[in-house]
Amino acid sequence: MESDSSESYMKNGFVELSHISLRPLELSDIDDFMVWVSDPKVARFCPWESYTNKEDGINYIKTKVPQHPWFRAICVNNRPVGATSVRPNSGNDMCRAELGYVLASKYWGKGIATQAVKIVTKTIFDEWPHLERLEAVVDVENVASQRVLEKAGFKREGVLGKYFIMKGSTKDMVVFSLLSTDPKT
Amino acid sequence: MEDNSLASTIKEGDGELSDISLRPMDLSDVDDFMVWASDDKVTHFCSYGPYTSREQGIKHIENKVIPHPWFMAICVNNRAIGAISVSANQGNDKCRGEIGYVLGSKYWGKGIATRAVKMASDAIFAEWPHLERLEALVDVENVGSQKVLLKAGFMQEGVLRKYFIHKGKTRDTIMFSLLSTDPRI
Repeated sequence: MESDSSESYMKNGFVELSHISLRPLELSDIDDFMVWVSDPKVARFCPWESYTNKEDGINYIKTKVPQHPWFRAICVNNRPVGATSVRPNSGNDMCRAELGYVLASKYWGKGIATQAVKIVTKTIFDEWPHLERLEAVVDVENVASQRVLEKAGFKREGVLGKYFIMKGSTKDMVVFSLLSTDPKT
Repeated sequence: MEDNSLASTIKEGDGELSDISLRPMDLSDVDDFMVWASDDKVTHFCSYGPYTSREQGIKHIENKVIPHPWFMAICVNNRAIGAISVSANQGNDKCRGEIGYVLGSKYWGKGIATRAVKMASDAIFAEWPHLERLEALVDVENVGSQKVLLKAGFMQEGVLRKYFIHKGKTRDTIMFSLLSTDPRI
């Protein structure tokens, strides 16, 4: 099956870092995209409910992805296994942007998200010279995602209580940041 | 001068503080507004000022104060000596609002800002039942304002590095919060 070609890079659950890359997400990636967006384990800490039909996935790639100022598929051997995005701000908030990422659950625990975040941090400050702060807010219960950011060199700044509403309830969020002047790991 | 007699009626801890009130601010307060808005000691950490002309004051009240969702003058004997406001958010951010305040420098050190913050916090949680988090961002160097929030029962959550641009420079800011469920002191 087609998915074997990316799975063959997971010998003993290990993925070569050099096989991890970022690229734009295309409509032709729809089947790979549906793997993670239809997974409730993945959607758990995301603001969206897991998708149940392919039309919603197609609609997202066609209309929502182009609205993102910066959006990339996270790929293993050029096959999408997740996505990452950076949201900029304007005016007096221009110095900061917010990072987000999502990964198919089959690929968790292998350092893929960490490597993807490292690739983002190596490029985004060059692409946006006015950017000084890349931040991320993570649910206090999403320990795995907090580990990704720590391993990628982000600094944990604190916990923001009842910071925003996700799926109907207010969440406590941990805020992390990486500055353009911080060492890139 | 009028302002001196006003300042001398306020002595910390002798009951005069009960004369402090909050009320909506309007254009008739422009001359009182200009007392603090033209004082660079006061506006040092503000997003605006110092103003040098009454026209700037009128424009500020027209554009920033009157359309504001919640903006009060801090008054002694119904004369404005400062201001306090709470901003609202939309959608999934509706659970949080940001508090800001400013006080004429002649009235510093008397517990007035602390009293105003406590009054505003009580009022806003009552008026906006959907509000669960009141937050404030204070420049790391603005120690006086940090003390106001701590005395008013806010909790310091962390330092957000290079969070925004203030008068041309990126600043580190401290995030404070008061939750609707926190004890009101």
